[in-house]
Amino acid sequence: MTVYVARRLLQGVVVLFLVSLLTFFLMHLAPGGPSSLVDFQSTAAERDARLARFGLDRPVHERYLVWLGGAVRGDLGTSINQGLPVSHLLAQRIGPTLVLGVASLALAAVFGVILGVIAALRRDRWPDHVVSTLSTLGMSVPNFWLGIVMIILFAVHLGWLPASGSYTIGGGFDLGDRLRHLILPAGVLAFSLMPNVVRVTRAAILEVMASDYVRTARAKGLIERSVLIKHTMRTALVPVVAMLGLIATVLFSGSVVIESVFGWAGIGRLAIEAANGRDYPVILGVTLLAGALVIVVNIAVDLLYAVVDPRIRHD
Amino acid sequence: MNHRRPTRRPTHRPLHPIRPIVALVLAFGLLLGGASTAFAQEADATAVLNLATNADPTLNPWTPGAVIESNLINTILFDQLTRYSPDDLTPSPALATEWSASEDGLAWTFVLREGAIWSDGEPFTAADVAFTFNDVIKNEALGAQSASQFAPVDRVEVVGDHEVVFHLNTPFSALPYYLASFAGIIPAHVLADAENPLEVASFNKGVPVTTGPFKVAEFVPGSFVRLEPNPLHWAGEPRLAGMIFRVIPDPNTQVAQARGGQLDVVTRLNPNDVGGIGGDGRLEVLQQSQNLFFFVAPNHDDPRFEDPRLKQALLMAIDRQALIDALLDGFGEVATGPVAPMLGALYEANVPTYPYDPEAAGALLDELGWTVGSDGVRQRDGERLEFDMPTGQFGDLVPATLLVQQFWEDVGVIADVEVLEWNAYIQDVVVNRNYEMTLAWWSMPPTADVAPYFSCDAAQSGNNIPNYCSEDLDELMRAGRRAITLDDQIEAYSAMQQLLAVELPYLYLWYPDILTAKSTNLHGFPEITAATAFQHAVDWFVAR
Repeated sequence: MTVYVARRLLQGVVVLFLVSLLTFFLMHLAPGGPSSLVDFQSTAAERDARLARFGLDRPVHERYLVWLGGAVRGDLGTSINQGLPVSHLLAQRIGPTLVLGVASLALAAVFGVILGVIAALRRDRWPDHVVSTLSTLGMSVPNFWLGIVMIILFAVHLGWLPASGSYTIGGGFDLGDRLRHLILPAGVLAFSLMPNVVRVTRAAILEVMASDYVRTARAKGLIERSVLIKHTMRTALVPVVAMLGLIATVLFSGSVVIESVFGWAGIGRLAIEAANGRDYPVILGVTLLAGALVIVVNIAVDLLYAVVDPRIRHD
Repeated sequence: MNHRRPTRRPTHRPLHPIRPIVALVLAFGLLLGGASTAFAQEADATAVLNLATNADPTLNPWTPGAVIESNLINTILFDQLTRYSPDDLTPSPALATEWSASEDGLAWTFVLREGAIWSDGEPFTAADVAFTFNDVIKNEALGAQSASQFAPVDRVEVVGDHEVVFHLNTPFSALPYYLASFAGIIPAHVLADAENPLEVASFNKGVPVTTGPFKVAEFVPGSFVRLEPNPLHWAGEPRLAGMIFRVIPDPNTQVAQARGGQLDVVTRLNPNDVGGIGGDGRLEVLQQSQNLFFFVAPNHDDPRFEDPRLKQALLMAIDRQALIDALLDGFGEVATGPVAPMLGALYEANVPTYPYDPEAAGALLDELGWTVGSDGVRQRDGERLEFDMPTGQFGDLVPATLLVQQFWEDVGVIADVEVLEWNAYIQDVVVNRNYEMTLAWWSMPPTADVAPYFSCDAAQSGNNIPNYCSEDLDELMRAGRRAITLDDQIEAYSAMQQLLAVELPYLYLWYPDILTAKSTNLHGFPEITAATAFQHAVDWFVAR
């Protein structure tokens, strides 16, 4: 097991190196330049002075080597547009994104599995149709639109929930206040992630319930609840865990939109600001962080397989 | 709904004999009403104002990239030598109390305010002004934001603790106007020792040392900047308990929050959002002005534009009022030149205006030899009248460009529109000048001095995007810069506007209204321009 994890981590480092190489050269191929250097009103002389100051007048491969030299020593460089160290920006923003991500994932997992089970047990009856309609809505309604509608409904008209930010400015730490701020963004993000969990859960439950050993369990006279919980759920959870792993990796892209709509100061918004403003060191930092998260989540999911399905071993 | 509908600028009509009497009675009534309102409007000393900004601001007005998200908060934090009068936008005292120019116009003496102090308790002196200009703005290696606007300034000489002289390389009568345009003074005693005074993170993204009526109490990047009053401000103690600038990137969320009562001021409101604001009487929409014009720039490296009649025909082919109605919901006015009507006496209305007339446009193009070919496209000597017209994804630029394309197609002129991402657009069009026609805008200080956008030395590499160059125009702009008295300025700038209207270095489209939503309970907020309002933040108060 330890050897397996060590091997996977080592592979991860190689992947991160390749990701950094590809990202560095791709972003420099994109037209434009850092928005603080290449803005509408600057004259050529002002632009040239700024480019030279940030070393952006040097060849791309040279800049990559300088960046890589810093990165292996833990220095991810300084944001061109914000003037702050990239590691500082990532550290500032990762917390809110993790809170939003974990909350959304938990909501999507809990409600997705419950609704998936209901849909499977009531197959082709009205509960199944209701769940299916909800899933279709979740899949097709854009996040930004749903976010605005929820703000208008719950913050503007009803006044029940705050419209943006992650806490009330000026007050001390208050868990209730933080949760109130979390409900709308996490709810909207979870609503768009949930359909995948619902569909996979429903399909897995239906498949397992049609299998021989479940039929045998029923023939033995076990009650339906016992058949479902002891015999069906555990097997059916394997694809659900895989789906949650996949969702955890795409959470990032969903949070880019949600964080902008709800004024949530996380990595997603940092990423979009960096990409729009061609803030090269920040783009690299965010990409590497996202890459590292995907690698870690994948390893965790693979380890979880072994827990939910005893047939899988990582020796 | 509390907003005023778009109206034509007022014109003066002779008064009916009875009117002066009615006016007197009304004025007396208003005076009484105003007095009673003033008594009723006692300031709420506990009020904290909530405002929105679309991204994290950079709290140094000269740092490259400190633009739209930073300008207004920096206006509150960093006092300038001058600020605009809320009555007529003329420069009025701020950190400078009086100023005068030498006879040759090459030296301007500014007397500085005594008793102004920085937020860390240090006194504000002439050294701060000299540092801001000599070591930051005029230090070319730093590439300070908007440094090119001060190209006529050679250096600032300290002649006493509270007196400086600006030495110029050419007369520059608009200097006091430019000093009021996002030109905050930064502290020498804090930044002079920095390797790069524009990149001090603890200052730009933390708690900077400032002179304004409010100072930074807390800056949480990505979330908000909280300001608290500076009780030692030279103009007196502010009347609010504080301000919070919330970072809300999405304009729809800003509007939703304003409607929900969580924001008190939203600047740069989209015209389409005006209808949704003000229903409950809590918010009102201000129609402010700015010296800002939208244009189509022809690239004058293209010899086809040597004859201004081609540009005149192309301008006549565009229904600019239709653009204003379609894109701005009517909140704007057809532009006649780069100087907006808000400049009052300096605005010259009596110039050729090229109203929409596709037939006259067609006739003029025929006269120039651009006749309609068998494919419906005009051509001359086998060359089609066709332009590359790149546009950037920002605001209304793309739909505006597509509408212009359609108007031109109606008269047989083809614009090949390419939509670019904004950053790529700047690189391609503004930096590399790789275009034949393009639609954009300029926002300028409220002065008729438009040299940075029109002069020969700003072509190719500066803000003269269309690369237009005319010695006659340069001479008129120099005459305007030499003219110290208003009458002389009016004379020089009137001739300049006449020439600009004939030559059309840019095809002038419209002057947009700048829309600001604000709480009806917020008072002392000058309505004339957003910059002026924020320069007078010390006077803002919320009625109890």
